[in-house]
Amino acid sequence: MIDPSMIPTVDPNPLPAPYWLFKLLLIVTFFLHILAMNFMLGGAFLAVAARFSSKGKEYRNRIFLDLAKKIPVFLAATITIGIAPLLFVQAIYGQYFYTSTILIAWPWFLLLVLLCIAYYGFYYVAYNGQRRPGPAGIVLFVSLVLVLIVGFIQSTNVTLMQTPTHWAAKYFASPTGWSNNLSDPTLIPRYLHFVTSAIAVGGILLVLLALVRWKSDRAYANYLFQYGGKAFMYATMAQFVIGSWFLISIPRNLRMIFMGDSPIATVLFLAGILGTVASIFLMSDALRKQNIRTAAYGVSGLLAAVILTMILMRDILRDAYLEPYFHPHQFAVKTQWAVLPVFLVLFLGGVGLWLLMLQRYGLFSSTNPTPSELTPTPDAPAEPEAELVH
Amino acid sequence: MNYPIWDVSFGAGLLIALVAGLHVFVSHFAVGGGLFLVLTERKAIKTNDHALLNWLKSHTKFFVLLTVVYGAVSGVGIWFTIGLISPTATSNLIHIFVWGWAIEWVFFFLEITAALLYLSGWDKLSPKRHQWYGWIYFWAAFASLVVINGIITFMLTPGSWIDVHKFWIGFFNPTYFPSLFFRTAICIALAGIYALITASVQKDKDLKARIVRWGALWTIPSLLALIPFGYWYIREVPAALFLSARGPMPTATHYAFLAWSLLAVTFLLMLLALFTPRRMHLVFALVIGLIALGAMDSFEFVREDVRKPFVIENYLYDNSLYAAAMPGDGGFTVDNLNTVGVLHSAAWIDQRTITPDNQIAVGHEIFRVECQACHTANSYRGIHQLLEQRQWDAPTTRAMLSSLALMHNGVMPPFAGTDPERDALAAYLNTLQTTTPTATIDGKLLYQNNCSMCHQDHPNAQFFSGIVTDPAAAADSLKDLTSIFPLMPDLKLNSAQRTALVQYLNTQRPPLQHAQLSPAVEGGK
Repeated sequence: MIDPSMIPTVDPNPLPAPYWLFKLLLIVTFFLHILAMNFMLGGAFLAVAARFSSKGKEYRNRIFLDLAKKIPVFLAATITIGIAPLLFVQAIYGQYFYTSTILIAWPWFLLLVLLCIAYYGFYYVAYNGQRRPGPAGIVLFVSLVLVLIVGFIQSTNVTLMQTPTHWAAKYFASPTGWSNNLSDPTLIPRYLHFVTSAIAVGGILLVLLALVRWKSDRAYANYLFQYGGKAFMYATMAQFVIGSWFLISIPRNLRMIFMGDSPIATVLFLAGILGTVASIFLMSDALRKQNIRTAAYGVSGLLAAVILTMILMRDILRDAYLEPYFHPHQFAVKTQWAVLPVFLVLFLGGVGLWLLMLQRYGLFSSTNPTPSELTPTPDAPAEPEAELVH
Repeated sequence: MNYPIWDVSFGAGLLIALVAGLHVFVSHFAVGGGLFLVLTERKAIKTNDHALLNWLKSHTKFFVLLTVVYGAVSGVGIWFTIGLISPTATSNLIHIFVWGWAIEWVFFFLEITAALLYLSGWDKLSPKRHQWYGWIYFWAAFASLVVINGIITFMLTPGSWIDVHKFWIGFFNPTYFPSLFFRTAICIALAGIYALITASVQKDKDLKARIVRWGALWTIPSLLALIPFGYWYIREVPAALFLSARGPMPTATHYAFLAWSLLAVTFLLMLLALFTPRRMHLVFALVIGLIALGAMDSFEFVREDVRKPFVIENYLYDNSLYAAAMPGDGGFTVDNLNTVGVLHSAAWIDQRTITPDNQIAVGHEIFRVECQACHTANSYRGIHQLLEQRQWDAPTTRAMLSSLALMHNGVMPPFAGTDPERDALAAYLNTLQTTTPTATIDGKLLYQNNCSMCHQDHPNAQFFSGIVTDPAAAADSLKDLTSIFPLMPDLKLNSAQRTALVQYLNTQRPPLQHAQLSPAVEGGK
């Protein structure tokens, strides 16, 4: 148990809106951020896999090129959406967040340097993948490694911010910001759980690309479908091993909230597992019957729902970790009524203008096979942007 | 001390300067450059200038790759860095302005989307539709400046927010509008400067000349506009703040001089470019860019320097202590620390009592929590260098710590803590000195090393009104400085030093005063 006085006090300014509103915005925007991240990271992973197994396989090279063009846009979406949860997490968990980032200050700072290099790398590949496949493959691989490191730093911070008991020993051993959290048994499985989920979503990305080409280029689309569908299935099956590892690495008293101690957490946990199993069977069935619509709409919808349960469980787990110290009712709240409506109006207006921009660009019409593509599944906003880099 | 302090050996301030200094140069281009893109596209279409249009396409790619990638990531980078180095200030700014940041995020999201669509839409959209994306880009980018400007200016001039704690009062603070106009002019000026870079590599000399002339048309009037806007800006900053910018550590004054000088050089080089537009070379374009970068960063340094010793003026010191007690301050105020002590207030220190054995270790911890927001042991703003320069021995250092708030026209927060804690800090600081200080009897040197921090390089008339003219009596009065003015350091000079110092001071006394003053005028500061 940490000396409670080590946990920084919140600053004197009251929370400028009710706690639940920040929590809601945090969860919603983090969910969207993770979706974009999954497309980016999974797409990059499968692009590398396709590129380095493309010898004599023309379609693999096409997959590499198709994905390479989309990765910068997904990275732009990941970063741009990611700013919102970064803001809201600081609004309600600032004391924990700042402290843990200071302990790993150098990796946390370098995260952005690595991200910037990877970003330029992805753009290089998008522009040069066709003309210089050799160097582009290497640059893509290096950029993938860099974003994987970025993810690992994020996981390190998240595990560290929710375990204040680990702070003091790390800081007093060295205040230079080079601490790590490798001694936390949940770090590695948690990180692998996220990365593997990204690979599964990368598979779904290929299925969605197959859907777009289903009528115009059936042979390639079918290849994309098989390649993506299998990637999805293998990655998701691996989650049963990694997920179990993650689960048993969590301290018993916290693990039990998903196994009966908390009804909500338990329901979410069961729903997540059932959804995952169902998505594997659904994909397997779709692949066998070559039913692209089931895979593109059914599985991706199901997967989005599963990811949402995971995000909610993640949040419940964090609050369980912080339960000895963190109590939302301790916040003084003074809602800024003079500015909150301004944000809400601008936010809704912004979403409207954003959709209008995409619609006027023709992203909702020509390239897609059916109008039903407009169905606002969580995948939809990301998919239309896919063709942006040329 | 509420948060752990990240020990950046080469200087935390330097790291922020590096990240922010490069970011602002790109982020302002991201605003002005957006307007430049649409207006240049209109101009090229109107004049049927295909060459210009083709160049603009490649310029758009350069623009997007620089602003969407580096500009966006480094913007998050500033946020990461201030969170690591000034978590208390960041936490305050988040809670005061969270809806401001959230609004900025909405604009940022629109900005990025519009930029990507504008870039990829060059050969796909009708000119009218294409420009529509350009306009959305520009207005969204400008709107994000409109928002962030409120928060940056708040830190310098929070105005009556300090009393009422209302969002819009803090947002539309006294320097909000001058800063907005000033920064907008910078944005437009940078649009023209960046255009030179991509123009310089064009082979078609006529095209190059057209772009350079067009770019100069953006930059030259904007640079001129900076003069009235800058004057307006300075006028809105309370005079008391500028006081801290003058004196023997005139960092802000130096930077202000540098800012205006580099601005003038930029202006002259742009004129030169305007008259020899066909000869624009990449190196020349980059030199103009670098000088403009220097001018802009100097301006940002002035803003940061006049704010000292606060990170949020009159509210939060640079070392994260609150200027006044208030509910929820956690006891992190100077007054409270003077009473309770650092060791019983700070969370992130290892030692809780002072013994002869751990005095230096305690001093090191106090240095970390109170001084390291700005200073380092021996690099950026290094104490080692300062002590060597001033030749302070241990008792002098200790005495000087009592008067920190008076030094350099008040750019430092006062030392906060108990007497034994101050002794511990002094003991640690003296370990940073690697040579034995020499006890000089050179009056001028004595003045520079021991007096000039508070009394300026050249003491003013008021200073002399406190010192009697009779050399022996004056030297005698320097025995006990605190009796002259209670906040002066209790400095112990020996008899020879006191005599030498008075001799030097008498050579500096204004002649008129020399004649008028009688020995009767004694006491006071």
